[in-house]
Amino acid sequence: MRSSSIAFATKPTFMLGQRCECDGGKHMVDQLPNLGREKEMLEAMGMSSMDDLFADIPETVRLKGELPLRGPQSEEEIIADARRILGANVALGDRVNFLGAGLNRNYVPASVFQLIGRGEFLTSYTPYQPEVSQGMLQAMWEFQTLISELVGLEVSNLSVYDGSTAAAEAITCAIRLHNRKATQKDTIYLSELLPPSRVSVIHNYTQGGGVLIKTLRHNSDGTLNLESLSEAAGSCGIYVEQPNPLGVLDGGLTRVKEIIGENTAFIVGVAPVSLGLLEAPGNYGADIVVGEGQALGSPITYGGPLYGIFACTKAYLRQMPGRIVGRSIDVDGKEAFCLTLSTREQHIRRHRATSNICTNETLIALMGAMHMSLLGPEGLAKLAGRNMAACQLAKNKLSEIPTIALPHSMNSHYNEFVVELPGAASDCIAYLDTQGLIGGYDLSNWYAQRRNWLLVSFNDQTKAAEIELLAAHLAVWSVSVTKGVSA
Amino acid sequence: MSHLFEHYGANGKGYSQPEPIMSTDNLQIPPSLIRKNLPKWPRISEPEMVRHYTWLSNRNFGIDTGFYPLGSCTMKHNPRVNEVIAQLPGIADLHPLQPDHQIQGTLAIFHEMQEMLGICAGMDAVTLQPVAGAQGEFTAMRCIQEYFRGRGELQRTKVIVPDSAHGTNPASASMAGFEIIEIPSGEDGRIDLDALRAVVGDDTAAMMITNPSTLGVFEPEIAEAADIVHAAGGQMYYDGANFNAILGRTSPGIMGFDAVHYNLHKTFSQPHGGGGPGSGPIGVKSHLAEFLPGPIVKRRPILAGDRLTAVNQEWWYHWQDPENSIGKVQQWHGNSGAVIRSWAFYRRYGKDLKTMSEHAVLNANYLRHKIFQEAEAKGVRHLFCDGAPADVVKHEFTLSLAPMKEEMGIGAMDIAKGLLDKGYMAPTVYFPLIVPECMMIEPTETESKETLDEFAIKFVEVLQEDPEVLHQAPMTTKVRRVDEVYAARNLILSYPFDE
Repeated sequence: MRSSSIAFATKPTFMLGQRCECDGGKHMVDQLPNLGREKEMLEAMGMSSMDDLFADIPETVRLKGELPLRGPQSEEEIIADARRILGANVALGDRVNFLGAGLNRNYVPASVFQLIGRGEFLTSYTPYQPEVSQGMLQAMWEFQTLISELVGLEVSNLSVYDGSTAAAEAITCAIRLHNRKATQKDTIYLSELLPPSRVSVIHNYTQGGGVLIKTLRHNSDGTLNLESLSEAAGSCGIYVEQPNPLGVLDGGLTRVKEIIGENTAFIVGVAPVSLGLLEAPGNYGADIVVGEGQALGSPITYGGPLYGIFACTKAYLRQMPGRIVGRSIDVDGKEAFCLTLSTREQHIRRHRATSNICTNETLIALMGAMHMSLLGPEGLAKLAGRNMAACQLAKNKLSEIPTIALPHSMNSHYNEFVVELPGAASDCIAYLDTQGLIGGYDLSNWYAQRRNWLLVSFNDQTKAAEIELLAAHLAVWSVSVTKGVSA
Repeated sequence: MSHLFEHYGANGKGYSQPEPIMSTDNLQIPPSLIRKNLPKWPRISEPEMVRHYTWLSNRNFGIDTGFYPLGSCTMKHNPRVNEVIAQLPGIADLHPLQPDHQIQGTLAIFHEMQEMLGICAGMDAVTLQPVAGAQGEFTAMRCIQEYFRGRGELQRTKVIVPDSAHGTNPASASMAGFEIIEIPSGEDGRIDLDALRAVVGDDTAAMMITNPSTLGVFEPEIAEAADIVHAAGGQMYYDGANFNAILGRTSPGIMGFDAVHYNLHKTFSQPHGGGGPGSGPIGVKSHLAEFLPGPIVKRRPILAGDRLTAVNQEWWYHWQDPENSIGKVQQWHGNSGAVIRSWAFYRRYGKDLKTMSEHAVLNANYLRHKIFQEAEAKGVRHLFCDGAPADVVKHEFTLSLAPMKEEMGIGAMDIAKGLLDKGYMAPTVYFPLIVPECMMIEPTETESKETLDEFAIKFVEVLQEDPEVLHQAPMTTKVRRVDEVYAARNLILSYPFDE
C-alpha cells in the first residue's frame, strides 16, 4: 500500500513554519472523494496496494518516481496566482482600442453568463441520450433556426470551431457536392484579400484531398473584380467575405451567382451582426454562409473558444459537417428533439466522415442563441447600426487628416477600414502604444508590400471621444513622420 | 410557452442598448445590400428569456445533476474556480493579435502548460492550438505527413488503426490524405502483433492507437508494436482520449510513441458544455517539433528593457513559429479559455496528477468489482460478460450484454434507457464496435465510493427488471424514447413558422 495518501488519517502533524498536514498536504482532497479510503476499496477487491491496479503495465514502460512538476495548490492560491499572472496582461478594456481584424470587442448581456453557468448545460456531454438532453437539443434546434433566419438559408448546423474552420469545411463540402460535374476539377477560388492565417487553415483542411486553390482578384477600391470572378465558373466553389477582410461592403456580390453558375458553390463569410442591416446572403444567391459567431454572445477570449456559423441550402445538407438537431416525437407522440443525420459523422462513418468535427463549440453557440434571443430583430438592427455608425464617424474624422489617406473610402464599410500612413504601420502602432492606445493592425503581416497600411476597427463599444483621440494622435504622428521624411 | 419563437410580446429588446454615436440615417449602404426583411427572431424580455433557458436547463442532464458514467468521455467534476478564472478580463478581454508585451501573463501560462503537458506525456514539444481531440489527431497526422515529405518518403501514404479505435482516428488521418488500413484485434480484444506485422511496410506512415485501449485494458505489448512500426520506418501516434488512466504511471513517450494529443476537456476538466468547447493540444518528439502549427510560446531570460510589462523577474515570453510549420489549424491560438481552465486544474494537483489517475483507475476497478459481485448475489451474473478479459482494467471497462440479448431480447440500449429511469446518465453503448451489445462504463476519480456502491445495486436492479418494462423505458424522463427515424425522415431542422 502506498501509505502516503492515507497516513494523514492517523498521524496529523502540525509544525510551525510547515504546511498544515491535516489534509495530507494534498489540496485535491476537495476533488477526490475517495482520498484516504483507498485501503478499504482495494481490500474489497482483494488487493493490497494501488500498485496492484497497475500490475498490467509492463515493468519496461513504467514511470518511476514523481512527475517533475510543481506541488499542488489550494483554490485560494490558484485564484490569487491567476489574478496576479493574468493581471500582467493589458486587457482591451484597459486601453482605447482599435484592434479588430475580424474579432471585435462587444457587449455580452449579463444574463448570458449567468445562464451558461448552469451546471445542467455546462457539465453535460453531447446529447447522445435525447430523453435526458431535451434542454440542450431544443436550444441548439432554436440556434439553427436563429442562424437560418439570420443568413437566409434553410439549414444550419449547431456550430463548428470558428470562422476559419467554417470556411475550410464549406470548401470541402462544396468539392464533395460539385466535383463530379465541375469542369475545373478539385478547384476552388479564394479572395486574394483573405488573411494568410485563414488561408493556412483552408490549406491544411483541403490539401489531403489534393485541392487546387486559386485566387480571385480585387479592384483597387477593394471590391471583387468580376472579370476575375468569371474565371471561377466551372470550379467547385468560391469563397469571399462580406464585409471583406478590409471592412469593405461590396454590392457586386449580389451578382456573383449569375456569373459563376449553378454548379459552382457561392460561399460567403459574414460578420453576423452586420446582417441586422445588410441583406442576408441567402437572398442574393449564396449556397453556403459561414462566419465567426463571436460578436453574437461571446467574449474574444484571446481568440478562443469562439464558434463558427455554418448554414447552407438543402442541396448541401448531406455533405454538411458537424451536428444537426431535428424535431421528432417520442413514443407518446410528444414533441421531442434528437441529433439527426449522424451517419455523416466520424464516430459512425469513420474514414468516410464528412468533417473533422466531433467535440464542437456547443456552449458558445448557446451563448450566441441567448444573445440573439435578447436582441430580437429590431435589437439586431440597432446593434448593426451602432457598429456601422462608429465606423462611419471614424471615417468622417480620419478623412479630415491631410497627412493620411483612406484608400477604399469611396465604398461603405462595416467595423473596419484601411488607413494609408506616411510611414510604417508598425511604427505608428508603437507610437500609439506609448500614448495608451491599441492602435489597430499592421497589414504588412497580411500583405508584405503594404507596410504603410493600418487596419483600424470600430464597433458598438467605440466612443466618439476615443475616435477624436485616435484622430488627434494619427495627425500628430503622421505630421512628424512627413516632416522627418522631407527633412 | 415552450418555444422561443412563440415569444412576440416584448418590444424587440431583451436588453436596452445605448444610442449609436452618430445618426444612422445615412449609412451609405449599397442599395443592393440593404436588408428587406429582418430575421424572424423572437421578441422576448429578459425575465422571459431567463425563464426559457432555465426551463431548458431543467430538461438537461449534466455531471452536476448526477452520476455520468459515459465511457471514453471522462465526465469528471468541473471545479468552479476554473470558470471564475476564465472570465477574468486578463483572458476574456484579450485579442489574439495583441503584441507579446501586452500578454506576458497569458504567454507565461501557455508556456507552463506546454511544459507540463510535455512532461506528462514524455514529449519534447507541445502546441496548444488544436481546439478539439479530433483536430489534434488531424494536426499530428499533418505533421507526420510533412515529416515524410521533408525526407522524400512520399510513398508513406498508409495509416494503420486497430478496429477498436475511436472513429475520429481513421476520420482524421483520412482527411489529411492518408489511406486507412484497419487491423483486427486479437480474440482477447488486444492488439494482434501478427496482424500488425502483416500490414507494415515502406508505405506505412503511422499507426494510431490508444492505450489503454477502448476496451479499458492496457496493451502490454505496446512497446513491441512500436518497435514493429518503427522498424518499418513509420511513426507511432497516441490517441490521448484515455490519458486519464495512466498519468504519472506510464507515458506515451516511454511506450515508444512519437506524437500524442491531449483532450483537455477530458483529462484536465474543461467542461464539456453539451458538446464543446474542447481543446486538443498535441505533443511530439523532437524530430517532429519543427512541423508543429505555429506559433509556439518560447521564453528567454529577461533583459533590462523588458521589466515594465514582464510577468516575473526571470523570463520574457514570446510567440515563435516552428521552422517548417504546417501553418494554422485554427486562425488564432486555439481555445485559450479551455487552456486557462486546464491550467487552474493542473495547479490544484501539480505532481499529484498521478494520484488523480490512480483514483480514476481505483474507481473503475471498484465499480466493475461491485457490479459483478452484486450480479452474483442477485443471480443475474450470467446475463453479461466482460468486453475483454482482464484482471484489472484502467479508467473504464466494457460489458457485453449479448447473453441477455440472446436470452431475453434485452440489449445494451434497453439497459441504458433503464438506467435513465434510475436517475443516471447512461454509459456509452455499442462502442467499441468489436464488443457485441457493448456497454462502456467510466466512473472517473471524482465519484465517491457510496455513489459507486449505489450504482452497482441499481444497475443490477435494471438487469432484473421485467423485459416489457425495459422495452418501454424510460418512463420518468421529460420525454420518452425519441423516434430517431422520424427525425431523419422528416428533417424538421428549424422552427416551422407557418405550422
